[in-house]
Amino acid sequence: MRYAVLAVPDFALHALRRGDPSLGGRAVALVAGDGSRARVTEASPEAHGVLRGLAATLAMSRCPGIVLRTRDPEAETESHRLLVAAAFTLSPRVESTRAGCCTVDLRGAEPARTQALMRLRAAELAAAGLPARIGAGDTPLLASYAARCAEPVLVVADAAAFLAPLPVDFAEPTPAQGEILRGWGIATLGALTALPKAEVGRRLGADGVLLWERAAGQATRVLRHVEPARSFAAQWAYEPPVESIEPLFFKLRRYAERVALELRGAALVAERLSLTLLLEDGGDHRREFRLPEPCADVDGWLRVLGDHLATVRTDARVAGVRLVAAPARPPQKQEGLFDTGLRDPASFWENLARVAAVVGDGRVGTPLPADTHRPDAFTLERPAETVAPCGAAPVHPPCGPTLRRFRPPWPVRVACEAGSPASLEGGRLGGRVLAAAGPWRSSGGWWGPEAWEVETWQVELAAGGVYQLARSGDTWCVEGMLD
Amino acid sequence: MPYVELHARSAFSFLRGGSLPEALAAEAARLEMPALALCDRDGLYGTVRLHMSGRECGVRALVGCELTMEDGVVVPVLVQTRAGYRALCGLLTTAHLRAEKGEGRVAWGELAGAADGLVALTGDEEGPVRRAWSERGPAAAAEAGARLASIFGRGRLHVEVQRHLVAGEERCNRFLVDWARAAGLPLLATNGVLHADPQARAVVDVFTCLRHHTTLDAAGRRLAPNAERHLKGARAMGELFADLPEAVENTERLAAGLEFTLANLGYRFPDHPVPAGETQDSFLRKMTLFGAQQRYGSVVGQVRRQLERELALIAKLGFSGYFLIVWDLCSFARERGSLVQGRGSAANSAVCYALGITAVDPIESKLLFERFLSEGRTDWPDIDLDLPSGERREELIQEVYRRYGRRGAAMTANVITYRGKSTMREVGKVLGFADDALDRFSSLFHGGDLPQTLELGEQLRMAGVSGSHPRLAALLDTCRRVRGLPRHLGQHSGGMVLSAGGLDQFVPLENARMPGRSVLQWDKSDIEDMGLLKVDLLGLGMMAALQDAVDICAQRGRPVDLARLPKDDPAVFRMMQEADTVGVFQVESRAQMSTLPRMKPQNFYDLAVEVAIIRPGPIQGDAVNPYLKRRSGAEPVTYPDERARPILERTLGVVLFQEQILRLAMELGGFSAAEADELRRAIGFTRSQERLERMKGKLEGAFRRNAVSEPAIAYLIKSLASFALYGFPESHAISFALIAYASAWIKVHHPAAFYASLLNCQPMGFYSPASLVQDGRRHGITFLPVCVLCSDARCRVESDAAVRLGLGSLRGVRAQAVDSMLAERRLRPFDSLADFLRRARFSPAERRVLAGAGALNALAGDRRSALWAADAFHDNDELLRGAGQEGEEALSPLERMTLLERQRADYEHLSLTAGAHPMRLARPMLQGVTTAAALRDARPGGRVRICGSVITRQRPGTAKGFCFITLEDETGFANAIVRPRLFEECRLAINMEPALLITGRLQNEQGVIHVMAEEITGMPDLGFPAQASHDYR
Repeated sequence: MRYAVLAVPDFALHALRRGDPSLGGRAVALVAGDGSRARVTEASPEAHGVLRGLAATLAMSRCPGIVLRTRDPEAETESHRLLVAAAFTLSPRVESTRAGCCTVDLRGAEPARTQALMRLRAAELAAAGLPARIGAGDTPLLASYAARCAEPVLVVADAAAFLAPLPVDFAEPTPAQGEILRGWGIATLGALTALPKAEVGRRLGADGVLLWERAAGQATRVLRHVEPARSFAAQWAYEPPVESIEPLFFKLRRYAERVALELRGAALVAERLSLTLLLEDGGDHRREFRLPEPCADVDGWLRVLGDHLATVRTDARVAGVRLVAAPARPPQKQEGLFDTGLRDPASFWENLARVAAVVGDGRVGTPLPADTHRPDAFTLERPAETVAPCGAAPVHPPCGPTLRRFRPPWPVRVACEAGSPASLEGGRLGGRVLAAAGPWRSSGGWWGPEAWEVETWQVELAAGGVYQLARSGDTWCVEGMLD
Repeated sequence: MPYVELHARSAFSFLRGGSLPEALAAEAARLEMPALALCDRDGLYGTVRLHMSGRECGVRALVGCELTMEDGVVVPVLVQTRAGYRALCGLLTTAHLRAEKGEGRVAWGELAGAADGLVALTGDEEGPVRRAWSERGPAAAAEAGARLASIFGRGRLHVEVQRHLVAGEERCNRFLVDWARAAGLPLLATNGVLHADPQARAVVDVFTCLRHHTTLDAAGRRLAPNAERHLKGARAMGELFADLPEAVENTERLAAGLEFTLANLGYRFPDHPVPAGETQDSFLRKMTLFGAQQRYGSVVGQVRRQLERELALIAKLGFSGYFLIVWDLCSFARERGSLVQGRGSAANSAVCYALGITAVDPIESKLLFERFLSEGRTDWPDIDLDLPSGERREELIQEVYRRYGRRGAAMTANVITYRGKSTMREVGKVLGFADDALDRFSSLFHGGDLPQTLELGEQLRMAGVSGSHPRLAALLDTCRRVRGLPRHLGQHSGGMVLSAGGLDQFVPLENARMPGRSVLQWDKSDIEDMGLLKVDLLGLGMMAALQDAVDICAQRGRPVDLARLPKDDPAVFRMMQEADTVGVFQVESRAQMSTLPRMKPQNFYDLAVEVAIIRPGPIQGDAVNPYLKRRSGAEPVTYPDERARPILERTLGVVLFQEQILRLAMELGGFSAAEADELRRAIGFTRSQERLERMKGKLEGAFRRNAVSEPAIAYLIKSLASFALYGFPESHAISFALIAYASAWIKVHHPAAFYASLLNCQPMGFYSPASLVQDGRRHGITFLPVCVLCSDARCRVESDAAVRLGLGSLRGVRAQAVDSMLAERRLRPFDSLADFLRRARFSPAERRVLAGAGALNALAGDRRSALWAADAFHDNDELLRGAGQEGEEALSPLERMTLLERQRADYEHLSLTAGAHPMRLARPMLQGVTTAAALRDARPGGRVRICGSVITRQRPGTAKGFCFITLEDETGFANAIVRPRLFEECRLAINMEPALLITGRLQNEQGVIHVMAEEITGMPDLGFPAQASHDYR
């Protein structure tokens, strides 16, 4: 037993279900591909009759009520980090082999203690929603085959007897090789290794020889070790957003366990915790906690966090959470030679964040005209750190009087004659209209509840001044004054 | 002050306009606009529709076009004279023919050469002047305008001003007005119309998104700023341009000066070259009488009288050249050994029969000549030719191009419109609906299982779109508006238009997607409306199959002359009475096979009736059941009016054919030949329901005046309406019956040739090759596997009961490699597998296909051994090739394929198996399931379970939501009927599962067996291969 492999079958599906408790106990399948080419890639045991490769529409037909989802890369990254953290508790020499799979170099480890540790780890991972299987053998390949057969832990003693009945797909033939092997009627590793290696090589080339060796479990390789985690953070989203503390706390514990496991794997503890609630309306609620005593104890963390969360009231539902177990400071920006930039961007953004905390996150930024015909529509963009140079002068520069907008516009009653405004009556403005220009009409958004239609006029009042009026339905307002 | 809109685009600008020309014409009429000019982008696609609809509602249709120039600007031009029209057609043709489809651009130099007879406008925001103004300023705009003025001269260039009530637009208008006055050019007010009414603006926005491959949410300022670009009347335009009254006045003045309309197109059909001293008429007469001599033996009596009558009328109408040209095309095809047969109403003509254009003797069949040609007729008669599909037909099409030139002949266009599923997908995407919901919609309502029993909203709900979705109303409304609008221009299945002196003088031509083909910008209805002549050269898969079968029989020393087949062969009719008609032309469908045992055809005319009766027309007209009941004696034969007896006697008092409608109109309604012809056109013209309604009213009145009883009138009018849906002329039915009879005769007497030819001509017909092979096996034909030593590229008959499958049936094997191997084999037979692998030039993948399909068994013993050996052969590796010399090859260590593996390999490589049906292997695992053959003996009304591969899913529009499913097992076909409710419950399983298990009650009426489905599930996945099915076609 020189190597161990921790692997999670249907990893993408489990990662998704870990992140979404509503999927627990339901028939769920992951699909990939567009439109009619969408195929099932992984399916939960509850999805009876739904097999890998089945068309998504057939899956719906065969399993009414099935939930079809696409892969969630964020959830997979999070789950893989948990797996890696667990691997580091077995040995400091860990390879992140692929998503949902780690290989551990166990040389030097005490076998009996390691086997016990593997069982304990498998149970912990299963409790965390990641039912890993752990296999051990004399080569990384053999360990990976064992992991695929383990329930949940398998240590291979007799390699030949173990390999013979395994499906040939275990050796991971290329699609072309798989096609040829299917044509030959080769279904198991034993059947493949029963063929003369040289004859296989003659037909499938050097890659065929490698395939044969993989089938025999002989292939070995050098592991590419990864470093244990250096930053200890987790972030996740709630879909749909949550309103109460229970679902929030459920996931908080799950992710905190991973961060704590990473800390433990690296022989570290947390000094401070930073908790950010990401709200549905785009805002957030952030709080830092200095732990009474540095630790990697999840229960201790959750006591501190729970006390605070019990008192928190937010304006919007919580759409996500970020937990950081080690502080980090952004680097100072080095100024470019010709940039007109911020002297201290970190302070700028910190201050901006404080402003946003007061006025709301969606109300801070640089206003830019929106790409729409809707008058006065704008978007708020993140302020640029450097000011771009001026472009070419417009062919037709703005001309005519400037409109000074009233924000908000002034409501007004308008009497019309022959379709044109004839007089105005309002709290701040009124009188007879001497001259009117218009109308200019714009409309849009007809495809949804945000449909709008505006008619604009410019009027000169007998009392003096030229104003811009806008009518939307039966409602009139003064949009501004023309200089 | 009158106003004429002179710059309007319709949906025929393809994604640049939101209304049909008919809608524009109707709106123009409502606004009391005297005329309207259609300026579609780069074409005259919608002009005929505007012309015809304008004529009906009193709006003079002016012809115009927006020309995309080589630098991307768009110049609108209006046609002033016929010469100008011809120049415009030529200009568009030149631009389109030198470019990829849809990419035609006009060179400025060419526009200068074609400007006579055209009037130009400076255009809208895409026009040269306004674009130069916005992008480069006033000086550049004046320069662009000056270039237009130099081309068209001051009298024929108008400065276009538009007001769409958009802030800032006056700045450009002020420039245009100043510049026009300075340059001495007239102003012209237009609204740059994109849609008929304000509501259609949504369509334009959606089209804009489709054009830019974006969504409404992301399109931003590319969408219309408001809904002002609709047709506006004189008052509205007068108010808009109150400060520029001359701009409005000029519209009427200019419109009056545009003298050209499509009413005076000046089209002429080309003459046929005749020998010196002959005229078109005299030469046609000579050839007709000569042909009649061959057909009839002697030209006397009724034959002579009919020919003389027809020849006189043809000469009087000036159609002689047309007949000669079609005769010549038929002769050309026959000289090259191709079958050719006229179909449609041409079969009503004895002249066509004498010339060999058609194969039906109209005198013997008592067919109505007036259905084909009558004195009052102004348009050209239809002569459609059926040819073997494929190369032979293409050869004739290319011959027409060769004779009349690239600009003298072109294929008729086919306007592809937005339909249910495509509309939902495209509009839904633009509105931002999720792909998965649209995918589900497509899957749920895939193929042609429309028309639906559900409302569109309900269908969307089933696809996962909530009824409270905030954009659902917009989606439904926009889909409704978009449906039926043109999407793109395709090619008609075979209609070619010819012209004397260049077709491109009458209509622009452009390249089709298919190489070597060009297409004109009008569809068949437009062509008919404009009086252009179309010759249909239609490819028929069965003609190709018959040709192949005849060739096979001839090669085997048993020649068959299709023209001289006995028409009363009892074996043929026995086969039809038993509905044993898989592969037989026109009577092989599920619906036909369900009717045949009730119909029991006993002679050739019965077959013609059978061909005609299972059509939407007779089905909708409730003609099928009365006819069948009267035929079986279950119901007495009655006539709607005693005077109708001679007309309806042959069809037992039921109206089955178009000719009968026309004769009834003439005999009972007193219609003249010209009026009957008008009626014929109204029936055939599906585009205008109004036209049909007018004719119905006219006929109703005529019947009443002639004392036809009210019930009879009601019956006859209902028949008329149903024929508008789709009904056959009798002559057409007889022409098709000839082919149907010929194919049935071949099936009965040369079954091996029959199946071989069907397999050789795939894709065609109703059944997949796998089903055809299984049917052949049930008829005692052995299908021998593909073999590199024995097979040709095509299927070959080896004996009366054996067909050798062809190497061309293998998927993934190049035809060129097969031909090269066959050439090697002809030089010297292959004596070993090593010899074959050395000399045949197949790729490794192709070798695997050959081995996997068993084509190398004769050399290797079995498929696995062949695969083992073929994979060891390395063509480019001399070292390894040396090791593969014969005699040195070690025995294969691989196990032989099992039966199931062989079947899977057959389906994988051939899409069929020459062996047993897959269901035979599944049978032991299917407890309590009745075979298709055993249904015949099962108790009617009893509960049965059937299981098999789905080979047909049908949900015809006439079936009121019922779905018909045909399953195939090892014993034959089993049909199931699914009620609408069950269909909706099991829609996904029905549409998606390759094999079904159906439980239901057995029905057996006069030998027609169905299972009325009660439960439907997918067949358990037992690892058996699936096969293709024929769905909703």
